[in-house]
Amino acid sequence: MTGTLRLLRFLLRRERIGLPWWLLGATLLVLVQSGQSQTLYGTPEALARMRETIGSNTAAIAMNGPPRLLDSIGGEVVFEVFTFVAVVVALMNMFLVGRHTRADEESGRAELIRSALTLAGLADLTVGVLVFAVAAGTGLPVAGSVLFGAATAGVGLIFAVLTAVAAQVFENTRTAYGAVALVLGAAYVLRAAGDAGDGALSWASPIGWGQRTFPYAGYRWWPLLLPFGVSVLLGAAAVVLLTRRDFGAGLVPPRPGRATASAWLRDAYALAWRLQRGALAGWAAGLGLLGIAYGSIGNSIEQYVRDNPQIADFLPGGAADVVDSYLALTAGLSALLAAAYGVTSTLRIRAEETSGRSEPVLATATSRLTWLASHLSVALTGSALTLVTFGLGEGAAYGITISDAGQVPRLIGVALAYLPAAWLIIAVTVLALGWLPRPAAVLAWMTVAYCAIVTLFADSFDLPGWTQQASPFAHTPGVPLDDLALTPLLTIALLAAALVATGYAGLRRRDIAS
Amino acid sequence: MTTSTEAAISITALRKSFGETTALDGLDLSVAAGEVHGFLGPNGSGKTTTIRVLLGLLHPDAGEVRMLGGDPWRDAVALHRRLTYVPGDVTLWPGITGGEVIDLLGRLRGGVNRRRRDELLEQFDLDPRKKARTYSKGNRQKVALIAALASDAELLLLDEPTSGLDPLMESVFQRCIQQVKRQGRTVLLSSHILAEVEALCDRVSIIRLGRTVESGTLSELRHLTRTSIAVETAEPPHGIDALPGVHDVVVEDHHARFDVDTAQLDAVVRRLAPLGVRSMTSTPPTLEELFLRHYGDEQATGKNVAS
Repeated sequence: MTGTLRLLRFLLRRERIGLPWWLLGATLLVLVQSGQSQTLYGTPEALARMRETIGSNTAAIAMNGPPRLLDSIGGEVVFEVFTFVAVVVALMNMFLVGRHTRADEESGRAELIRSALTLAGLADLTVGVLVFAVAAGTGLPVAGSVLFGAATAGVGLIFAVLTAVAAQVFENTRTAYGAVALVLGAAYVLRAAGDAGDGALSWASPIGWGQRTFPYAGYRWWPLLLPFGVSVLLGAAAVVLLTRRDFGAGLVPPRPGRATASAWLRDAYALAWRLQRGALAGWAAGLGLLGIAYGSIGNSIEQYVRDNPQIADFLPGGAADVVDSYLALTAGLSALLAAAYGVTSTLRIRAEETSGRSEPVLATATSRLTWLASHLSVALTGSALTLVTFGLGEGAAYGITISDAGQVPRLIGVALAYLPAAWLIIAVTVLALGWLPRPAAVLAWMTVAYCAIVTLFADSFDLPGWTQQASPFAHTPGVPLDDLALTPLLTIALLAAALVATGYAGLRRRDIAS
Repeated sequence: MTTSTEAAISITALRKSFGETTALDGLDLSVAAGEVHGFLGPNGSGKTTTIRVLLGLLHPDAGEVRMLGGDPWRDAVALHRRLTYVPGDVTLWPGITGGEVIDLLGRLRGGVNRRRRDELLEQFDLDPRKKARTYSKGNRQKVALIAALASDAELLLLDEPTSGLDPLMESVFQRCIQQVKRQGRTVLLSSHILAEVEALCDRVSIIRLGRTVESGTLSELRHLTRTSIAVETAEPPHGIDALPGVHDVVVEDHHARFDVDTAQLDAVVRRLAPLGVRSMTSTPPTLEELFLRHYGDEQATGKNVAS
């Protein structure tokens, strides 16, 4: 036991940099949501209107949780924020436990599991207390806030123990993370299906258990027994599994891969796509889901805005043409995300360079131009693909609510109108990689941040017009609200091509880092 | 193919600095076609920088660099079809298997000799089906070595290729390089494993602080070194320490141990003979000692150059 304590102190030291950010993230979510909800729906009338529009919207329920939570303002906060906090806290626990059970087996395995789980338990207790403090501190009832905090901690604990089990089953950490992430995804989907349906499936989800304590809206204590009871059982299972496996090995051996490369893995392009396909699939799926989420409330948005005039301030066209301005805003937002994807994909060039992995490639008959073009081809087509999946998701979901299949091609086209702007940000990244490789990542993300700020907040913060002139989004016609104009789009695309060419000129003449 | 009269690599007065740090300070290197050339120097002496210049990854600040009749910077792509490279610290893509990496690197260069590849996998005892993230340092090194040795490239640039290999694999590597040598191909082998260089290399260049300090065949370099002698004589061996070229003498009774400059060996043996030699062992000079003589002072000054 003293060994466990000593180890725990060591783990705490190692976590003192990372862990506070997770805690801060979860706390801020609750803080912001509580403030925002009480501003928007502070009066019983506003809350009732909200309940009327959102409480009958299946998509919103699937995204957030059971509509019964909307009975009180505190419940409304839980409704809006609980799934997000649950995901953040689950991931925090996954990394916390995964890092320490698999990372360093030398120090005594049983003690490692005990101390990693104790550490996770302490972190969850802290999250619970912080959520309680923020909720109660922003004026929500104390009893509900206790329940809110405890439910959050319960979700965290479940995923800590699940990770400990997965770490016994699989040999490498990544596979264990994959398995836990799959369970997290399933937990979200099950409760979405359950909440949208008769609620039965929600009982199969740890996130659903948390929400079914109904903080501020019914106060049920007994569902808390589920996460804490299951955690004890799973924790015991992890220790039993531990004694059954070999040192350093998992219960399930890793699947062997290919002994020879397939015929298509034959050039730099194939390599770049192979390296980046997983991330691209993730981003494309994520933007597709975001599109579905946005599209599904497109039809309710007009009524929603009429109920909440404050929202109209965020929409480029004001209250008139509400749906079209909503679609333009969401398409612009998705293009910012597509640009962010493009930046991560383009920065892969730098990561390959500094890790030394580009060296064997550039020592073959692969020219620097081919090397750049191979990764850039992923960034450019990948950003287009994420916009297509967004348009597809938004068009399909919106089209279903208004029974119009034509929305699918229309909204794919709308999303693609913002593609040149995303490409320009990618081109800025290439320019930085060519001439200022060291600060390239910082410069690229500052460009994304600048575009995001002026696009999303210029109007509501009353920023002067000139501040956004450098953003390609300011020159992109806001379709479908505005008419499509090709000249600005072509100009942006040409500028992007020129920046890429200039970036390549720099890359060709500089040293490759090692 | 280059003709055997033309040097495969010819570097004169090569300079390269990174900011304040001078990595190469007028380095010279000449590697004849068809020879295995040892490239020796302590860590940070500039071996890797030189090889990265030869690969066209770094642009030289000054100096003349020719390789296989071309300019490594300007003609990089064409030259790279004719050479192959093994880095000292191999990093691989974690999600790709060793077998896939070997095939891919071969194809990127211009073709893989399938039969040779499979032989090498067996000789080096590497499981090609494992993802690179599960390989140890030694196994990552094997992946890069097999990829290089399975090619028919006329020039092999090997930057400390055996770091991380166990002694058994080290001897497999030596057999492979001897085979490459018999095929008349050229090898530049950077190393600080001296037995390896002694076993494989026709000629050696020794660099230090970014400059070439010695270059020649191993026997040419031996004049710089000392032979260690342990001798037992009938008469007590007095007066040995007074002889020219003799160092570190320890005399106990009828036994003596000392080092002697190889150039003075004959004179010392003549002086010992009248004493009645009962037994004598001599240890030939190793490159280790040669290294110590050249770099003994540098360890005190510390490392201030990039590798």
